[in-house]
Amino acid sequence: MKAPAGQVAVAAGVTAIGVLILGGSFFLPTGGGYAQVGPGVVPRAVGIVLLLLGVFLFREVFTGGFRGVDEEAELGLPMDWKAFAWLSGGIIAYGLLIEHLGFIFASTILFVMVARGFNSRRWLLNAVTGLILASAVFAMFNYGLNLTLPAGVLKGVLP
Amino acid sequence: MDVWAQLMQGFSVALTTQNLLFCLAGCALGTAVGVLPGVGPAVTVALLLPITTKVDASGALIMFAGIYYGAMYGGSTTSILLNTPGESATIITAMEGNQMAKRGRAGPALATSAIGSFFAGTIATIGLTFLSPLVVELGLKFGPPEYFALMVLAFTTVSAVLGESTLRGLVSLFLGLAIGLVGIDNQTGQARFAFDIPQLLDGIEVVTVAVGLFAVGETLYFASKLNQIDEKLESIKGSIWMKAEDWKRSIGPWIRGTLIGFPFGTIPAGGAEIPTFLSYAIEKKLTKHPEEFGKGAIEGVAGPEAANNASSTGTMVPLLTLGLPTSATAAILLSAFQQYGLQPGPLLFESNAPLVWGLIASFYIGNVMLLVLNLPLVGLWVKLLQIPRPQLYAGILVFATMGVYGMRQSPFDVFLLYVIGLAGFLMRRFGFPTAPVVVGMILGPLAEEQMRRSLSISEGSWSIFVTHGISAVLLGITVLVLLAPLVMALLKKKRAVAG
Repeated sequence: MKAPAGQVAVAAGVTAIGVLILGGSFFLPTGGGYAQVGPGVVPRAVGIVLLLLGVFLFREVFTGGFRGVDEEAELGLPMDWKAFAWLSGGIIAYGLLIEHLGFIFASTILFVMVARGFNSRRWLLNAVTGLILASAVFAMFNYGLNLTLPAGVLKGVLP
Repeated sequence: MDVWAQLMQGFSVALTTQNLLFCLAGCALGTAVGVLPGVGPAVTVALLLPITTKVDASGALIMFAGIYYGAMYGGSTTSILLNTPGESATIITAMEGNQMAKRGRAGPALATSAIGSFFAGTIATIGLTFLSPLVVELGLKFGPPEYFALMVLAFTTVSAVLGESTLRGLVSLFLGLAIGLVGIDNQTGQARFAFDIPQLLDGIEVVTVAVGLFAVGETLYFASKLNQIDEKLESIKGSIWMKAEDWKRSIGPWIRGTLIGFPFGTIPAGGAEIPTFLSYAIEKKLTKHPEEFGKGAIEGVAGPEAANNASSTGTMVPLLTLGLPTSATAAILLSAFQQYGLQPGPLLFESNAPLVWGLIASFYIGNVMLLVLNLPLVGLWVKLLQIPRPQLYAGILVFATMGVYGMRQSPFDVFLLYVIGLAGFLMRRFGFPTAPVVVGMILGPLAEEQMRRSLSISEGSWSIFVTHGISAVLLGITVLVLLAPLVMALLKKKRAVAG
């Protein structure tokens, strides 16, 4: 039986994180103090264990796949990459735009993009709903709770 | 002081107008997020952590706890009416309860689950009240090696016993421990795994991890894998009240469910899934109406619902008395205590008695509020289920990103949130449990501190963990828990070969 590619990648990822942490632990002192246990000891242990767990994952992958995971059923549910892209784009756009456009518009854009990812094409309705929701949250936080969210392009326009 | 006096003092804290309002807010919010798919108590408490800078400790903690047990009430409503469990502990309710709803018995199903939850929640709170002082007394005898051993045991049970795969549970746990390592080591001031990125020096916030795994990861998974599946919302026809026969058939399951759920919550094995499955199995054996099981038997709703509520209250015992969180939400509650510079544990019962007992007293009040919120007012929450999915998830992500960005006004956190969300998506896709990540990242640094403290006492000798009796026993149990499944599998193989 061929090993499922996705599971191979996951096992490789876990192993890689183990290697990264194990490697990093060599830059940290492991001795010193009364305990004779420095800040490097636990990272070294965590790195070694993750590395081992990665190896065990590989073993499962090549001996019939992850135990208890029905890979065929998973593959039977088709992956909707368009939806995935809309959601990913929405969150990344939010991170890029929040400091420039401000909370209200960045959130509205996020709202519209996520709704589109869930197959809603009612752009105007979603834009208006997002705008109202974001404005309400902004007002509650900035005027009610005194926690400041960035006003962005509305700086000076809003009180 | 005896328990009664302490509890009365607790009520005097919990019954102030301010704290009653916080309790009500927590219960209402908990019911709402329990009802709504895509958002649960862990995310909600995480997103609300910033209010700890504005509100005093008792108010905030009473509200957070209300969200925690309130979500259990709300989750069952979704399970019954939508056949999609609102919370993972209500999977069983989704089976029998939804069948009842399909046969026009949604009302009695909702009623037996709400009243059963109230019954179990109240009995479990009484258990919490009387058990806590005993555990505290035991806990006072614990030193660093005992705490370390206890935490190692909790790690193991949370990751290895729950879920379908010990291996994947351990991977999740160690990923959480790895996340907990990032930032400045609090004993030597040494920066670890910060890669010279200033935002990482403070460590990775629990809010980012919880929201990333539970809100962003779930939403990504739902949008790209499950959105094709149709859901049908059942309506509540007829009276929501139970008939005499429904009462008669519910009382036994409630009692048995409570008796199973509470102990399961209190031992560091966490999670409400196992007791609900157990309760269901027992009711199926004991029932006089076996033909109804699978087609909407009221016992199959009453028992598991009581079990999951009793167990969630039981989780408070190790959390409050020993500082041991055994579920994701309990771990985030622990970090809420830490925001106030408080460390749950036996000492907290001495130094902050009014706070702890106020919190315990609020459970009694909260359960009454929840009964009212979830029975006469159930129609209100059903309306939440009518929000169309696109707008619901869009709204959830607006709140999620706001909470993470607003923490320290840094776009870096938003990108980190996305990366953790991707990890959450992959974990969901490949069957890795997510709760051990959160427990690991919060409990990990505490365990490391206890370990290094123990080694300071022993001047670097690791034998301290086995020469201390209690610690040795706890570590022994840990090894047993880890090895038992392996040994069983080997024996099975041998027998198969022999036969």
